[in-house]
Amino acid sequence: MTFEQRLARLEEIAGELEADGVELSQALALFEEGIESLRAAAAELATAEARVQRLVEQADGTFDVEPRE
Amino acid sequence: MPGRRQPRRAGDSLELFDAAPDSNRVAPREPVAARLESDAAREPESEFVSFGEYPGESKRSAISVSTLTQTAKDVIEGAFIPLWVRGEVSDFKSHRNGHWYFCLRDGTAQIRSVVWKRDQRGIPASPDDGMQVVAFGRLTVYAARGEMQFSVAKIEAEGDGLRRKALEITRARLEADGFLAPERKRALPRFPRVIAVVTSPDGAALHDIVAVVRRRGANVRLVVVPAAVQGESAPEELCYALDQVNRWGGADLVIVGRGGGAREDLWAFNDERVARAVAACHVPTISAVGHEVDVSICDLVADHRAATPSAAAEAATRSRAELTSELRKLSFRFSSGARGLLRDRAVAAKRAARDVRAAALQQLTRRQSALGTVSGRLHALSPLATLARGYAVARDANGATLASVGDFRPDMPFELVVRDGVVSARATPGAPT
Repeated sequence: MTFEQRLARLEEIAGELEADGVELSQALALFEEGIESLRAAAAELATAEARVQRLVEQADGTFDVEPRE
Repeated sequence: MPGRRQPRRAGDSLELFDAAPDSNRVAPREPVAARLESDAAREPESEFVSFGEYPGESKRSAISVSTLTQTAKDVIEGAFIPLWVRGEVSDFKSHRNGHWYFCLRDGTAQIRSVVWKRDQRGIPASPDDGMQVVAFGRLTVYAARGEMQFSVAKIEAEGDGLRRKALEITRARLEADGFLAPERKRALPRFPRVIAVVTSPDGAALHDIVAVVRRRGANVRLVVVPAAVQGESAPEELCYALDQVNRWGGADLVIVGRGGGAREDLWAFNDERVARAVAACHVPTISAVGHEVDVSICDLVADHRAATPSAAAEAATRSRAELTSELRKLSFRFSSGARGLLRDRAVAAKRAARDVRAAALQQLTRRQSALGTVSGRLHALSPLATLARGYAVARDANGATLASVGDFRPDMPFELVVRDGVVSARATPGAPT
């Protein structure tokens, strides 16, 4: 799951938790999923690192992405 | 050389200028004096020319018109190096063959001027009549007409007029094709994973973009797509790089631009081809050209305009701090949502408990009062009440009530139940009634 998808899911869960009329057992499951997702997202953020590469077109028209020297 | 010219139709003045640029080139040839002599020797009328006489000095040594004009061409073209000339443009015509013809004049003189098609590439736009310009070129002679012509390779108008005109033309064309419409602008992706950076691999722009992205701790891949950002080849290289990004298909955002520089260094980003290539990008684009307030044509076409490459990097990515605070907000919403949910449940449960208790109490009271009624009725019907009034009940040993004479046998023992206890008794022997 990409960070963006994860964040979208988290928004969704928060919305459901804030809504009226959600079943208690359902709410608990959502809450657990949300906390789990939050933890994963935070971990991903902590290890995030920008990489710089270079696009190289081969003779046959395909592309390679090489580390930039 | 005169013999290379094609015959011309009379009366078509523009044909005058049809000569290909090459025909104006000075080809190496024999010295002028030598040719004059040999030319004179070929003249049918020149059989009486005596050696030592200067060609054209007498009627007998008269030279041909073509020799005259060709000689003038050699002399004049050899005498002038290419130079800048200041003047006003008039009678401008763009011929269907692609060459530009006009007069360059001042208060007292004028000269026919031409810009050959192949020399127009370095000129932003054609000059207009009345424009004050400086033109760089060579003075040439068109031998077939015996006319001088200034062959121009560069023109600059006062106040950068030609560039302004070129910008206006390009802008109008892009506008007509709808490329500048605000509704065409696409939103930038919130979290781009791969950003293509179309710029010079050695330029300040790339350096700045990498620095900003690193500092922000953004989780992103920058893929450099190299292109020259200034010089004659820049527009083509930029177009090619943008096309590569499309064909590759791996990026979800494109930054195209360069660092600051002189105005002419930024000119490639005003090129119509580059603007169209930016518009043709399959993914959203950010244009970041220079550091000036000047807006390039690329800026107008791109989905987002950044004032500098650093600003482009900031617009493209979200910093770790920003995202961390967003996660914190979500976490807060979770716990407050869950807390609210639990609080609502607790209140409901308490209310339910109270209701149950009240209902139970009501039931109990109702039962108690029913019980009271029943017990009253029971009491009224109790034989004990009869006994209390002085009556007695006779019962046999088994407790069965002896209510009739027939129930008694002579000498039979029985009990009498009275108000306050039981009395043993026996029937009289032999006395049945």
